Amino acid sequence: MSKIMTVDILSSIKGAKPSESVNKLFDVIKNANKNTALNTVHTNAVTLDDLREDVVIDSPQMEKQIIIANFPKEKNGYLVVSKVIEE
Amino acid sequence: MMESQIHKIHQQLVNKEISCTKLVQERLDLLKLNTHNTVNSLLDTLALASAAKVDAKIESGQEIGLLEGIPFGIKDVYMVQGTYTTASSDLLKKYKSPYTATAIQKLFAAGAIPLVKENCDSFGHGSSSENTIFGAVKNANNPNLVGGGSSGGSAVNVAKDYTVFSIGGDTGGSVRQPAGYNNVYGFKPTYGRISRFGLMAYASSTDCVGPIAKSIEDIRIVLNAMSGKDIKDQTTYPSETILAATISNTDAIKTVGYFKNFIENDAIDAKVKSDFLATIEKIKAKGIQVKELDFFASDTLVATYYTLAMAETASNLSRLDGTNYGNRIEGASLKDTYSITRSENFSEETKRRVVGGNQVLSQGFSDEIYLKGLSVRDQIAANFEKDFHQVDIILSPVTPSSPPKIGDSLKDPLAMYLSDAYTVGFSLGQLPTLTVPQGTETGLQITAAKNNDALVLKFANFLKDTI
Repeated sequence: MSKIMTVDILSSIKGAKPSESVNKLFDVIKNANKNTALNTVHTNAVTLDDLREDVVIDSPQMEKQIIIANFPKEKNGYLVVSKVIEE
Repeated sequence: MMESQIHKIHQQLVNKEISCTKLVQERLDLLKLNTHNTVNSLLDTLALASAAKVDAKIESGQEIGLLEGIPFGIKDVYMVQGTYTTASSDLLKKYKSPYTATAIQKLFAAGAIPLVKENCDSFGHGSSSENTIFGAVKNANNPNLVGGGSSGGSAVNVAKDYTVFSIGGDTGGSVRQPAGYNNVYGFKPTYGRISRFGLMAYASSTDCVGPIAKSIEDIRIVLNAMSGKDIKDQTTYPSETILAATISNTDAIKTVGYFKNFIENDAIDAKVKSDFLATIEKIKAKGIQVKELDFFASDTLVATYYTLAMAETASNLSRLDGTNYGNRIEGASLKDTYSITRSENFSEETKRRVVGGNQVLSQGFSDEIYLKGLSVRDQIAANFEKDFHQVDIILSPVTPSSPPKIGDSLKDPLAMYLSDAYTVGFSLGQLPTLTVPQGTETGLQITAAKNNDALVLKFANFLKDTI
């Protein structure tokens, strides 16, 4: 994407601006020494044998009820969503 | 008999010296009347119903488990089915958990009784428990001071005996620091020892479930009950139960290290420094070898932690847009609805972190900040690995100074970030670290190598008898 997006758009927060306190922390990182000799290989992946089974698990009725109750808006038995972006 | 609230109450229940209903009702009353702002919501109906079942079981002559009937508290970032889970935020003020977190479910299975969802910094964003819609948590020892954070309500509840133990969450020190500020035990286990499923995500790569209690034995009991591999959190690993006998024999510890630069600097309070060094002398006097270690500068640790934590929280909190749950505020379009909902419902501190995270994740900035931060984290982890070839335990203060007055931290976020200097490194290293209420005004941290949680508890037992 070539368009430059400001942090308020990226964060979906109206009028948001970078903070001075936080920028001071980022300056520390920019100036930190980088040890190029270190080449860590991360093995965070789960092994194939360890993957959970590829099955659909139906939520209990209670869970479904609470999810519906948490929905912000309801009208005539339907859950109301906000207007969809048209651009 | 070793010191333990859980064992003591268990005996009282078994001997019918107190009924579980009376025990639970007394604690609920204390919580309800308390002026430290520790309570987001009381779980009284659930708690009293569970207590009645325990009483019926005892009455009919059945045996009860050690945790059965023991009242505890839950930081308000854990899902407990059907209860409000607000993360102390406006956005989720009326949100009800559809399911229960694995760690909490395991405690329920063991029969422990939940009393309260506890006040904390909103989404874990803070070190003082002032960033909350429920009022600043007041310190257990001096109500003019902060309770610490982000698990402030949990630590104060334990310190005041409102709960027997509480379950906090620790991302950069959020269990250890409030434990230190209120003089109780608080444990951040090795990352992955306890499932994060159902813990509201702040920074997923360092988020840990952690017990807060008044004794090492109670920490051990609760830790064992919550540990274990969980298919719903694939970063979990299987672990062995830590036996009381294993951690009572303290002979195995031969060498202890501490970071010279944590102690030799201008930021540390003179009293904390002299108390810490006095502790080191007492340990030496017991014939343990003490080594001074080199470590990263405090500002580098804090900057690395916050860079990564902000990036992760910006990503984790992007789901909170009012679409499917939360306090949606309608705008002209969907995008508008998102941004009004988030602007109106997030606190200043949460916005600061989300914006910071999006800054470092955006093109043009990610290489020199975010990726650099990841690389520094690798160096920190490598440094720990090297250290634990030389020493069994690393000992540190919990905080550079005593708890601030209520109101001070909100004025100066940078000072608050820097006050986390001693806790964040161990989070980045994913190491087991326990705060003990000894040694300095805000306690000491005991750290061991990854998966060596038992050694941490063992050294805590040694320290308890030594200083």
